[in-house]
Amino acid sequence: MDRENAEGLRLAADIGGTFTDIAAFDAASGRLHFGKTLSTPRSLIDGIADGVDKAGVTFSQAGVFLHGSTVAINTMLERTGAKTALLITRGFRDIYEIGRINRPDSYNLFFRKHEPLVERALRFEVDERLYAEGTVYRPLDEAGVRETCRALREEKIEAVAILLLHCYANPAHELRVREIVEEELPGAFVSTSHELSQEYREFERCSTVVANAYIGPKVKGYIGGIDARIRGDGFDGSFLVVQSTGGLYDGDQAQRQCVRMLESGPAAGVIGAQALCEAMGLKNAIAFDMGGTTAKAGVIHDGEALTTGSALIGGYERALPIQIAMMDIFEVGTGGGSIARVADEGGLRVGPQSAGAQPGPACYGNGGAAPTVTDANVVLGRLSPDRFLGGEMTLDVAAAERAVADGVGRPLGLGTVEAAQGILRIAVTAMSHAVKGVTTERGLDAGDFAMVSYGGAGPLHASAIAREMGIRRVIVPRSPGHFSAFGMLFSDLRYDYVRSRFIRLADADFDDIEAVYRELEAEGRAQIEKASVAPQRIVVARGADMRYVGQEHSVTVDLAPGLFAERDRAGIKARFDAVHDLRYGTCAPQERSEIVSLRVTVTGMLEKPVLEKIARGGPTPDAGAHRGDRQVRFGPDAEATPTWDRTLLLAGNRIDGPALIEEHASTTVLHPGDSMEVDAFGNLIVSVGGSRADGRTA
Amino acid sequence: MNDATDLRADPVVTEIVRNGVIAITEEMKSNLMRTAYNMIIYEALDFTVGLFTAKGETVSIGLGLPMFIRGMAETIKAKLEHFGTDGIKPGDILLTNDAYITGSHLNHLTFSQPIFLGDELIGFACCMAHWPDIGGTLDGITTDIYSEGLQIPIVKYQREGAVNEEIVSIIRANVRLPDRAMGDLRAQLTAIRTGERRYLELVERYGHAQVVAAIADIMDQSERAARARTLSIPDGVYEAESFMDDDGVSVSDRIPIRVRVVVEGDEMTVDLSEVAKQVRGFYNSGITTGHACAQVAFKCLTSPTDYPINDGSFRNLTAIVPAGRVISAVKPAPMRWWMTFPMTIVDTVFRAMTPAIPDRTIAGHHADLVIAMLNGINPKTNEFYIGLIGPTGGGWGAKQSEDGISATVCINDGDTHNSPSEQLEAKYPLLIESYALRPDSGGAGRYRGGLGCENVVQARADLMMNAQVDRMHCKPWGLNGGGEAAGNAVTLRADGVWQEDFPNAKLLTARILEGDAFAVRSGGGGGFGDPFLRPAETVADDVRQGYVSAEAAMRDYGVVCDARGALDRAATEKLRAARPAAAE
Repeated sequence: MDRENAEGLRLAADIGGTFTDIAAFDAASGRLHFGKTLSTPRSLIDGIADGVDKAGVTFSQAGVFLHGSTVAINTMLERTGAKTALLITRGFRDIYEIGRINRPDSYNLFFRKHEPLVERALRFEVDERLYAEGTVYRPLDEAGVRETCRALREEKIEAVAILLLHCYANPAHELRVREIVEEELPGAFVSTSHELSQEYREFERCSTVVANAYIGPKVKGYIGGIDARIRGDGFDGSFLVVQSTGGLYDGDQAQRQCVRMLESGPAAGVIGAQALCEAMGLKNAIAFDMGGTTAKAGVIHDGEALTTGSALIGGYERALPIQIAMMDIFEVGTGGGSIARVADEGGLRVGPQSAGAQPGPACYGNGGAAPTVTDANVVLGRLSPDRFLGGEMTLDVAAAERAVADGVGRPLGLGTVEAAQGILRIAVTAMSHAVKGVTTERGLDAGDFAMVSYGGAGPLHASAIAREMGIRRVIVPRSPGHFSAFGMLFSDLRYDYVRSRFIRLADADFDDIEAVYRELEAEGRAQIEKASVAPQRIVVARGADMRYVGQEHSVTVDLAPGLFAERDRAGIKARFDAVHDLRYGTCAPQERSEIVSLRVTVTGMLEKPVLEKIARGGPTPDAGAHRGDRQVRFGPDAEATPTWDRTLLLAGNRIDGPALIEEHASTTVLHPGDSMEVDAFGNLIVSVGGSRADGRTA
Repeated sequence: MNDATDLRADPVVTEIVRNGVIAITEEMKSNLMRTAYNMIIYEALDFTVGLFTAKGETVSIGLGLPMFIRGMAETIKAKLEHFGTDGIKPGDILLTNDAYITGSHLNHLTFSQPIFLGDELIGFACCMAHWPDIGGTLDGITTDIYSEGLQIPIVKYQREGAVNEEIVSIIRANVRLPDRAMGDLRAQLTAIRTGERRYLELVERYGHAQVVAAIADIMDQSERAARARTLSIPDGVYEAESFMDDDGVSVSDRIPIRVRVVVEGDEMTVDLSEVAKQVRGFYNSGITTGHACAQVAFKCLTSPTDYPINDGSFRNLTAIVPAGRVISAVKPAPMRWWMTFPMTIVDTVFRAMTPAIPDRTIAGHHADLVIAMLNGINPKTNEFYIGLIGPTGGGWGAKQSEDGISATVCINDGDTHNSPSEQLEAKYPLLIESYALRPDSGGAGRYRGGLGCENVVQARADLMMNAQVDRMHCKPWGLNGGGEAAGNAVTLRADGVWQEDFPNAKLLTARILEGDAFAVRSGGGGGFGDPFLRPAETVADDVRQGYVSAEAAMRDYGVVCDARGALDRAATEKLRAARPAAAE
């Protein structure tokens, strides 16, 4: 296949739990197209095809097909992966089960621990051992590996994960074991830990490589299946997949390094927010995504989306760690479907239990009786009963009122309206914790950030959360319900590398460090060379995980290449002190520091869509856009509140709160004191009025 | 946080304040962990942070150490008594490591920052953290507090904003790693400043009176929940007994642990009068820990998942702890390994309660951190180091309806992590030969106890090792017919030969030469119910996985299978018929 130059249609498909979203950008016309359909779990590709139809485009028009999917994370969480074996250094077969021995639920005698994806009987030891320096303590017993492979064949193993201690210092043994396994089990999916992570911490790296092997065969089949299907439908371009960093990699690579796409959808949303910021000239923004069961926040700081080196998948107590670069996203269990209840001892709780899609909130009329965040919005008049999902679904107001009154109001001695407001206030503070998680806890002041709010429920609560956090500006993008697919259109090819290297800065050998960086960069350039799409240019960013000598946790310090070229130890140290101070509010310039890992990100910049501008109007919206007034409660009393049809608003239109701006899959709530202007691209720019003191009107 | 204001709490504000104080202590915790210098803080999480009322009542604790549930509150009350409310000024930071106040050991430096709203003292942010060295003897046994290191009475580390540099000098002069110590000190200050700032934000946001009312409401809710759960326990007097191996001085003298629990309506009394008197070796703890034993056991049984951890949960608990017991020792009793014995006391309370609430208790666990301390000169850097192997994580007891959990930290600790072997080897001159589960270490039962672990550590350069492990002889017990588990152990290998015949698991000073090794082994958890009632298929699968050996399957469970878990049904039926299972 020729290397594509991204001409023609740029087509993005995001498969979420409930919906499949399509976004397409036509470079020739400068137009964006969107499509939304219910996901089709049995054959996800059918949902994509439907969505593409709905968006009014075809695969054959597309030069690039971009894809994000929950297939990887669901395979892991639902435990529907392959029959997998683990090959691990002699003496360490149990570390995957032992884990980190922690018991976070400290007083609960019925606590749980993580459950390995590979049972103990399928964890085999390999005779070999390296010292921490990477030199050989015990040579690799190749005959023993071949013998183990016979057992794997007998067990009909489909996937093999390989983890050997200290492989980041010397991958030779892992590579050789891999060769042998591939010879002995030609059909198996084989994964070595150093290909995914060259960072110390054997349990975390083990969990990462096992997850990759476990989901590998399924994800490989899935990606391969989509590739075959769209090519059958006339697609002749580059198939790229979104990684958890928000960067893209080739479909072929996604078939081998499957764990890199675990969080592709949420990451793409942050990339979309970053693209919006760039278009608007904003440096700092919070990307806030609220759906049915969770709310997620990511952050763009100085124009960069912040990433993290690892994540825990599946709830803290029982989590399986994944030690690769990911978008740094903080998630809380609060969404539209979150259930409000009064606990036995009298406290009002919201979430994390969710009514899900079935039975859903009480107002859906599908038999749900528990009050949810969505029901509270209905009670307060924020959601229109007959315009939900563009009128495809009618909401049962009486059922919502009954649920809120019975579930919360009566037990607490509150009126129905007061109870609904209480539910929203608690939901808003819970979601504010997600925003704090990515700002305040990193030493960033949320007040310096704008908030880009998307997901079906995001625009409903954005203004209230902004008030809670002292955020003054909220941006509701066009089609907030399709935002992850939209974000994919702005992704770049991206390869992240990290290698553990314990070096005290004072006696660092810069030639050695430079050699490691160059090796990692060369690897990234080679991957980009192999990708099916040609970037406009390649950008390399270097960083180092650093700490004071004696500390364990490190912080990642971005290092301009000049700092290394100049061998500027003092400059590097000063940079580290500053990052430490920002993050923790303390630093120790007189203390020695050390490097623990070197990081490189190689980005292949792709051509980006130029955002389409919408028609311009005056400050006053067309009368036709006004859909009449509705009784909405912001305080104790209902007030007549104008509602507007977003699709009929023009650039430059202004609306002051209170007001509701409605569109197909979302409603933006403007509180009293807020004012909103539609910008040139059709985004709603909300100036949040009032202070935190009127937080009573969540 | 004063109770003069009689404002009815708004239930919504109460919930927001509940989430707020939990979030504050979580943030204090993460800032401490991520800036601390020593592994005991950042991996073992040997610390506790908290918010307290102006009277020293617990509002929210961020763990840390579950067993330190009471240590900080008592420390604040002592500081209040020492200075008087009028003697505490804005900008002060109070410090102590008085072991008889914290109830623990001198390594626990406790810093408290009074929180002022204007001129009014409205609460405290507090942080206890374990410093790896506070002076005193490096290894061996201690028999009084003076040989355990620097004692800092209640002092002001900072007086109205000015740091007391003389105290800093005294500390620096008395600890072996002064730079590390100052690093940990800075991390603790970061944590309490975070607590102060965030609490003031909460008070500014919702108003002081509202926050005070909300905290009172949270405590009342916790009390209601604890009372309701206590009421569901049948009234009665429940007793149990166990013992500790020895005090490290008199190696063959077992130390009795007797507990008595009285349940009457919605009140519970935990009577620890019959726990052994204080001992000569360093396994004593202060009376604060005696009360903590009762609180930890009580919380596990009545409100295990109620957060924030606050004083309301304990209003219906009475603890009887006379002075001079091993968990209420008085000066100059040595305290360095304060944490070991209290875990067994908590376990013994669960044992006592089993006849009353078999569905809520748990069989015995390994009940020890199973740690080895190392020191020596690192040939790579030529620097002196103090290192730590463990906590190893061991087996937990089975329950009436669940198997025990394997390889998990003992009840003294909570969200405590072990250290990656790759990290230990990068830091210290060590080669970890294995870190593995111990087959057959879990007690047999209808529900099997969890497995313990073994860590085999080879020295790459000569070093000194010391281990203070207990519960080798008093093995984790089973309940209702369940079998006991393997106990804890420590062994040495010199010139390739393992020495296994130590009288206890306390190797108080051992020299390990290059190429030699030591092993620390954690015990398992006791079983629950008759092992002959465990389904044969489940036992066979345990054998297939290697959790249970084929021999043990036959001996303990009456199940016949080969080493790969292939079940011989006929032989099993015959064997089980020969010794019928007890009715459950």
